[in-house]
Amino acid sequence: MARFEPMTGKYIFLTVQGIEYRIYYEESGKGIPIICQHAGGSQTLEWRFMLNDPEIISKYHVISADLPYHGKSLPPESEEWWKQEYKLTKSFFIDFQLELSRALGLERPIYLGQNSAGFLALDLALERPDDFRAVIGVNTAIKAGMATLEKYYHPYIGNDYKRATALYFCAPFSPEKLRRADSWCAMLCAPPVTKGDLNYYFREHDLTGQTKKIDTSRCAVYLLTGEYDPTSSIEDTIALAKEIKGAKFTPMKGLSHCGMGENPPLFKTYLMPILDEISSKSTKKKS
Amino acid sequence: MAVHFINPDKTSSIVDVLNSDPEFKIAARYMTKDVCIEVGKTKCIVKFRDGVVTEIKFEDAFAERWDFAVRASVDAWEKFLQPIPPRFYDGLFGGMIRGNFQIEGDTTMCFSHFWAVTRLFDIFRELQNS
Repeated sequence: MARFEPMTGKYIFLTVQGIEYRIYYEESGKGIPIICQHAGGSQTLEWRFMLNDPEIISKYHVISADLPYHGKSLPPESEEWWKQEYKLTKSFFIDFQLELSRALGLERPIYLGQNSAGFLALDLALERPDDFRAVIGVNTAIKAGMATLEKYYHPYIGNDYKRATALYFCAPFSPEKLRRADSWCAMLCAPPVTKGDLNYYFREHDLTGQTKKIDTSRCAVYLLTGEYDPTSSIEDTIALAKEIKGAKFTPMKGLSHCGMGENPPLFKTYLMPILDEISSKSTKKKS
Repeated sequence: MAVHFINPDKTSSIVDVLNSDPEFKIAARYMTKDVCIEVGKTKCIVKFRDGVVTEIKFEDAFAERWDFAVRASVDAWEKFLQPIPPRFYDGLFGGMIRGNFQIEGDTTMCFSHFWAVTRLFDIFRELQNS
């Protein structure tokens, strides 16, 4: 007897900033919608455990889409995309979420993302608070540190480099088979894409002087950061959380940068109380 | 805690372990570089020739040419070599982000062979704790 997972994969056409994209997405479950956005240089695979978790999908409609140029979402057919270097911008990243939500008919979904997608949680709460009932940012900060991006896309540096960084973005306690799977996922990204995504991460996400404008009564803000994450440390996220009135921060002991992939059961122990709280607030508002 | 991989008496056995490690053999393929590793003031040169570690050189290491170097304090290496290292010492890249490790020289070649370098250090940790 063949075994199947509950999640299904489909393609949808989304027009974002005037350009049509054929977008691959996965979904499963019923209930409050959660958009699980993959990180920079990644794809929907990083949310596979969430899309298949019986408890989560019994209460929530979990959706994860590959951004254009990522995973199974190709660059747009209408554009000569090969004549310019790929770059993810904040405005595109925001508009993509809005268009995905609109096209799927989602009613004020929860937004969940980590790393650059975690940074986007804050930008959504700031710029589109009425389109999401809550955002959950995993491994976030007011802004990223300084970095040169050239090594992320260089003819002498292959994707093994991504494997050798991603493996150590998992905590040493995490199961080796999952750390190795995470590092494999990092290698699947097309060579120019990680650098292009880091344009948003390092250059465009900057909440300096903006954090106090985030209104958590319109869009609840939850922050989770892995103890071992070297990119956004617990201290970095505490500094962010202190500036957002009403934001709730939980440090994730035993996890690093890739919580939902490196150790899904442990990540779930931090995520479920947040989802339950959002769910409870949503029920109260309805009644 | 003595850092084993900078003990010249252990060099030949370390070279044997490296060259027989299945992952390291794939990660280091085609690599022909001289890698300087500094543990505080102690320096050694790991010589790679076509994917094989041919020598870990201590004698006159200060006078040797190298392609790229990985540097950290004795304290940082001791933390890195623990079976479960503390945060920001568990991986070379994260340690670099947090300023605990530095690379110098031809950094493009370092990242080109980053899998081999990180596996090299993982094996150093395994040997330290075996």
